Amino acid sequence: MARFIARRVAVLVAVLFAVTFLAFSAMNFIGDPLVNVVGPLAELDCEGIEAGLVADTSVDSASRDCDTVAEARATYHLDKPIPVRYVLWITDVATGDLGTSFKNDQPVSSIIREKMPETVILLVMAQIVSLGIAIPWGVIAAYRANRIFDRTSTVASFGLLSVPNFAMGVILLYLLSLRYQIFPSAYDGEDLRSLLFSMVLPAFTLGLPLAASYQRLLRTDLITTLQEDFVHMARAKGLPPMRIMFRHALRPSMFSVVTVFGVSTGTLIGGSLVVEQIYGIPGMGREIVTAVARDDFPVVLSMVVVIASTFVIINFFVDLVYSWLDPRVRAR
Amino acid sequence: MRQRGRPSRSRLLQLFRVLRLVRRTPVEAEEDLEVQVRRSLGFGFWVAVAWLILMAFVALFASALPIADPTEVGVGGARESPSREAFFGTDALGRDVFSRTLHGARISLAVGGFAIVFGMVVGGGLGIIAGYFRGRLDQIVGFGFFVLLSFPALVLAILITATLERSLLVVSLTIGILAVAPVGLLARASTLVYAEREFVSAARVLGARHGRIIVRELLPNVVIPMGALTLLGMAIAVVAEGSLAFLGLSVAGDDAISWGKMIVDGAGLRDLQNATHVAMFPVAMMFVTVLALNFAGDRIRQYFDVRELAF
Repeated sequence: MARFIARRVAVLVAVLFAVTFLAFSAMNFIGDPLVNVVGPLAELDCEGIEAGLVADTSVDSASRDCDTVAEARATYHLDKPIPVRYVLWITDVATGDLGTSFKNDQPVSSIIREKMPETVILLVMAQIVSLGIAIPWGVIAAYRANRIFDRTSTVASFGLLSVPNFAMGVILLYLLSLRYQIFPSAYDGEDLRSLLFSMVLPAFTLGLPLAASYQRLLRTDLITTLQEDFVHMARAKGLPPMRIMFRHALRPSMFSVVTVFGVSTGTLIGGSLVVEQIYGIPGMGREIVTAVARDDFPVVLSMVVVIASTFVIINFFVDLVYSWLDPRVRAR
Repeated sequence: MRQRGRPSRSRLLQLFRVLRLVRRTPVEAEEDLEVQVRRSLGFGFWVAVAWLILMAFVALFASALPIADPTEVGVGGARESPSREAFFGTDALGRDVFSRTLHGARISLAVGGFAIVFGMVVGGGLGIIAGYFRGRLDQIVGFGFFVLLSFPALVLAILITATLERSLLVVSLTIGILAVAPVGLLARASTLVYAEREFVSAARVLGARHGRIIVRELLPNVVIPMGALTLLGMAIAVVAEGSLAFLGLSVAGDDAISWGKMIVDGAGLRDLQNATHVAMFPVAMMFVTVLALNFAGDRIRQYFDVRELAF
């Protein structure tokens, strides 16, 4: 196990470097990095202005703009060659210095610290919703496999999987918030209770399609498990059917769900970007979209790096948990 | 590939394997029989295909159809309910929603189609080459796929589109890049299986070059599982375009209409409250199309008996 973990950690580090490098190159190779960071200011001929060769047209702001440009050059080490630049930048990132937004002078790390909780709450609630629906649904469908409930639920889950999450968001928002005013239509962060209540609809938007995919996996695995001898044994002992389902058969049937759990986190993160737009939740997704819209590239880059790294690390732990659950994986 | 460059003793072994190929093993014969029993796509499949053909037709000939100009502002009043003049009503700017929905099929389907073709050509090509040659090349390509999959898909899309002009080509390419890794992994996995089969050994014994083996022996076999997943992949790509639209990253410009952008337009609280039809018609259109793609794709997957669902 120790060797297995050591190998996994090595892969994790390599992937983290590759992911950050890819994000970094997106900023440095697609277009001029200085333009990406400060926008049209990059055109400013600062040396000329300083030497008095070029007329300073915008009297009071040019020197400040030149400071900004100089600061951007310093922060992103733009005078250094690209490999050096990457190493310096990644060192900054590793020590928690994610740069500063050049649009509103806010350090990116504080933006992320401010916005992260909302997104995390949304993701956790969505996973709770989807597992809370999928487990009973899958168990009942497998218990009466190929009966009427199972057949209709297969159709229903197929349909649910075909609803894009933004469509789901719009439909739920209209039905449950505008038509029948059960849930608030927008984010309400006044206190924890109203915060959680206003997150119910977004969580269902993300969780329902996910529940459908979990249900399909769980149902298939459960049907296989129910053929096992120990289930017959439990039945022969006269245990109540639902006790057999939940206490005996459920745990050995969770492997596929655990595997997909890691992957689905990525889908959920993508989905939360969209859902935050619909319900106006001030989380990472909304921030990233605002940043893209005003060409605030340092913020976009840092957030992409943070999100992708988190996702890589989550998958690393899911992998560990999985191999702990199922020793066969370690042998591979 | 195990046998490449080994001494002649294993060449002889290969020859035996080739000779065994002349008679099919009972297991293989049985497999064939099983497949034949299940060879039916069902009625639902053809309904789904009919819908998709209709959509493709609409997308191709939208501008030739006798419908209102989708970009013309103030055809009727603003936010009018569906009527005989405007089947799907009008949106906040008084544009004809029916006409916009039909025109919206263009970008949605074009992006979906282009993305999956790009994914199959690039991802499939890389996957086959990696699976055939193995070794260092396989490790590098495999790591590349792994890194691509380490990004949440939408986040990778943001990274690519954030600094670029968002033309139809850029958006399609972005989603195509997202498809490279899953398709590539699938192609690699099936190549690994087929590269061990006797007919590949036979070709090698006969002195075929690598290029010929890849194109004539492996490609036709690997294309089947890949092709079987085309429609499922396209469904994902169509949804991805809609998601990008919600982030304001779909094809830019007012005359570039897509279902995703229409849903965004109609999803504001005021529109949703007073003119639900503006968002709901494109939502319905997208749902039915994605459902048709998923359903037809799933039937084809069963038909060709492809188990791995790499997406």
